Amino acid sequence: MKPQQIRKFVMRYLEATDCRIIEKSPAHVTVKFSPEADKALTNRSYYWSFIERTGAEPETMTCTFVFDPEKMRQNPDNDNKQAGTVPSSGSILGAYFGIIPTAFSGRVAQDIVTYGSRRLEQIFAAVKAKGKYICLFEEPEAQKRTSAVSSGYTTWLGVNFKVELLCDMKREELHSLGISLATGEIVEQFHPFMLAKRLSPRLPANTHITRGSLTLHKGLVQLEHHLEKRLKTYDHDWAAKAQERMGAELARIDSYYDDMLKTAEDDNKPLIAEQYANRKAEIEWQYRPRIQVSVINCGLFHLQSEPAAAL
Amino acid sequence: MRRTVSPDNIRTVNEHVEIHFDRTWFNELETRVEKNGPWDDWTLYQLAYEAEQAGLVTSFDDLQCLAHIPQLQPLPHQIETAKKVLNEMRGRAILADEVGLGKTIEAGLILKEYMIRGLVRKTLILVPASLVLQWVRELNQKFGIPAVAQKKAYVWTQSDVVVASIDTAKREPHREIVLGMEYDMLIIDEAHKLKNKKTTNYRFVNEIRKKYCLLLTATPIQNDLNELYNLITLLKPGQLGGQGHFLANFVVDKRLPKNEDRLQQELSQVMIRNRRGDGNVEFTKRHVKNIPLTLSDEEQILYDSVTRFVKQRFEESERDFGSMFSLVTLQREVCSSRDAVFVTLVNLFKKTPQHSPVRQKIWELVEIIKSIQANTKAEKTMELIRDINDKAIVFTEYRASQEYLVNFFKQHQIVSVPYRGGMNRGKKDWMMDLFRNRAQVLVATEAGGEGINLQFCNHIINFDLPWNPMRVEQRIGRVHRLGQTKDVKIYNLSTRGTIEEHILTLLHEKINLFETVIGELDTILERLEKSSSLETNLYKLILESESDDDIRSGIERIGQTFKEAKQELEKEKTLPDYPDSALDAPGRFDAKNAEVGP
Repeated sequence: MKPQQIRKFVMRYLEATDCRIIEKSPAHVTVKFSPEADKALTNRSYYWSFIERTGAEPETMTCTFVFDPEKMRQNPDNDNKQAGTVPSSGSILGAYFGIIPTAFSGRVAQDIVTYGSRRLEQIFAAVKAKGKYICLFEEPEAQKRTSAVSSGYTTWLGVNFKVELLCDMKREELHSLGISLATGEIVEQFHPFMLAKRLSPRLPANTHITRGSLTLHKGLVQLEHHLEKRLKTYDHDWAAKAQERMGAELARIDSYYDDMLKTAEDDNKPLIAEQYANRKAEIEWQYRPRIQVSVINCGLFHLQSEPAAAL
Repeated sequence: MRRTVSPDNIRTVNEHVEIHFDRTWFNELETRVEKNGPWDDWTLYQLAYEAEQAGLVTSFDDLQCLAHIPQLQPLPHQIETAKKVLNEMRGRAILADEVGLGKTIEAGLILKEYMIRGLVRKTLILVPASLVLQWVRELNQKFGIPAVAQKKAYVWTQSDVVVASIDTAKREPHREIVLGMEYDMLIIDEAHKLKNKKTTNYRFVNEIRKKYCLLLTATPIQNDLNELYNLITLLKPGQLGGQGHFLANFVVDKRLPKNEDRLQQELSQVMIRNRRGDGNVEFTKRHVKNIPLTLSDEEQILYDSVTRFVKQRFEESERDFGSMFSLVTLQREVCSSRDAVFVTLVNLFKKTPQHSPVRQKIWELVEIIKSIQANTKAEKTMELIRDINDKAIVFTEYRASQEYLVNFFKQHQIVSVPYRGGMNRGKKDWMMDLFRNRAQVLVATEAGGEGINLQFCNHIINFDLPWNPMRVEQRIGRVHRLGQTKDVKIYNLSTRGTIEEHILTLLHEKINLFETVIGELDTILERLEKSSSLETNLYKLILESESDDDIRSGIERIGQTFKEAKQELEKEKTLPDYPDSALDAPGRFDAKNAEVGP
């Protein structure tokens, strides 16, 4: 990801979690976290459990994220900004429990947020944990909203699968699939398709949801089945090769330990046999090819009927 | 009505591979549907998808880690090595680059790549105790790998990347914990210490369960081909056959390999050895400037008096070398600073019996010291530093000189910080930071030891010189190393008509130490010093010589033997039976070996 992509990503996160932007430039942003973002990003679980138990007013942290360290350095104004003061709420308890730096010196912690940085990894982990299950409704077009006739909605189960092809090496793919719980129709590239729609977490007025004929479980089985069929069409030469490597490695070990066991004294044999078994297990662990399918996130998407036409 | 689905659904693709569908997410979804929430935010949902997309490993064999470590720019041979270990050696390899080519960087790249690919989580790094913190620092700072030094027992289980000393790890209670784990990656630095099969270290490492494994050593063979065999057996038992097979097929004598082509071919599958001479590393140039100084009259009187004193003691002791070497130190110290020689004299005074006439003589020398007001060398050094007008390191052998210099610079408004071996790690780091960010000058008594990488500075002033060439090379090596972008300037201060002048002649003109890196300096010295060290020989020479000319011809002799030892080694290396020649093929990226590999 390039600095500008990361900046956009982080800004969307900060906005979605209701953080207060104090200052921003193309190279940086200074932000006062919302409680949600503070919990996810500051590692202050003890502080937050204290706040929750006592009901005290929380004091969230302020931080500067630098997306483009080079540009940041070039701009001399930023030197002052780094040490810029932040209004302190004067909460004594807050100062007592972990925000001493902001309250006393007014210095703002500065983090480089480039690709691979810990801060960005942390934000990635936060969105993955908090963006897992959703339920959304398509917003009707203006004329339908006023229409007297209730419009019918169909429920889709959308799932973003991550496919990992593993041996001693690894390759990954994302498969975004959606299945209509009304008709059982399956759509690939479901996520980009959803991005093009206007979706809201609230059920719009004057709408009704058509009861589906498929249960969620049935939907899951159908999606897995669909993905399985897709994956079976792949060239699985990589797996055959991994098996080959594993075979060669096992043969090497066999000959080594066979010789050793033949010449070893009886007392030593159990030890050697144990080591032999361990080495074999290591090789299986390292080379055995397998395909692992996990789910990044999923949700129910209530779309206006006849979406197939729109696809 | 709810059924809980089984957490895993396994489907067979073909005879080689199965698909495992993880279903742990599904029950949670059903629960939320039943309770109608709580639902997550649509934006965060999109961001989660984008985060996965950004980190997706789209190819089996492209190096992904470079995008994750923008602050580090590995050298081409380091990247090549990482790729080869990942794609050809399948994550089990001996990294045997010569010193200074960045084995740690290579190991870091490989580890990072596996971590990004999700193939490695649990990692154990075993290193000599003195290198633990350096490894932790480098992995954290250069690679963003959250490595932790093993200090408390819980670290073994709670941290994913643990750095520990092998001597700690092999002892109970640690031993049992470590052997109870399965490590995705095991890295061992200074692995040549595992050359002997019968040691507890070897047996311990052999018992550790691991998936990928990297052994780092600059000297895979020190004396004996069996050492190499033992290392490879840790990594891939059977790669060179059983012990009997190996001896019969590849060994004539413990230093003489046979069937070298086949041996090289086998080795190239498990070992990579980059050499300085391979042209994969460009070092900047070194410029040497010797600065001869004339002692002030007072200093010269002190030097002459001390020299006389030393000679007298030597004669009185009936030429007993053993106890007299420390006296020569006095002469060296006069050349450095009056403070240095003063401290030694005071100690000598204390050790001398109360009624010995020697006490009187020592006292006379102290009196002379008192008359000295200025330090010729220190003034010249200050002048140099002002001219350099950039960061500089001043090396001295003596702590008293170090303290004197720091004060002297302070009086003249030059900011300097001291650095010495006795400081603890935290203080050393702090001094380094001060030097990097605030001070113009670092005054150091120690060049060895780990963790002082001073590539941001390219001026070295040798206020005085060690008599051991290795220590001189270490001093320069702190600055003239990978990552140094400028030419390195070395200034040697020496006082005319003193032993210093002779030593500089030996080190500079005879051994030619400063201008180029002497390959295998340690091996040459080892051979040269079969009976006694170079330093001892120099002490002897100084004590025995009657005149300056004696010293000069002695220095000439020592220089000559060094030259001969060097030539001898070079000749041996061209012979096919030099044991190290067996290592020549692996990992050198030339066309001859390009096709070797699985």
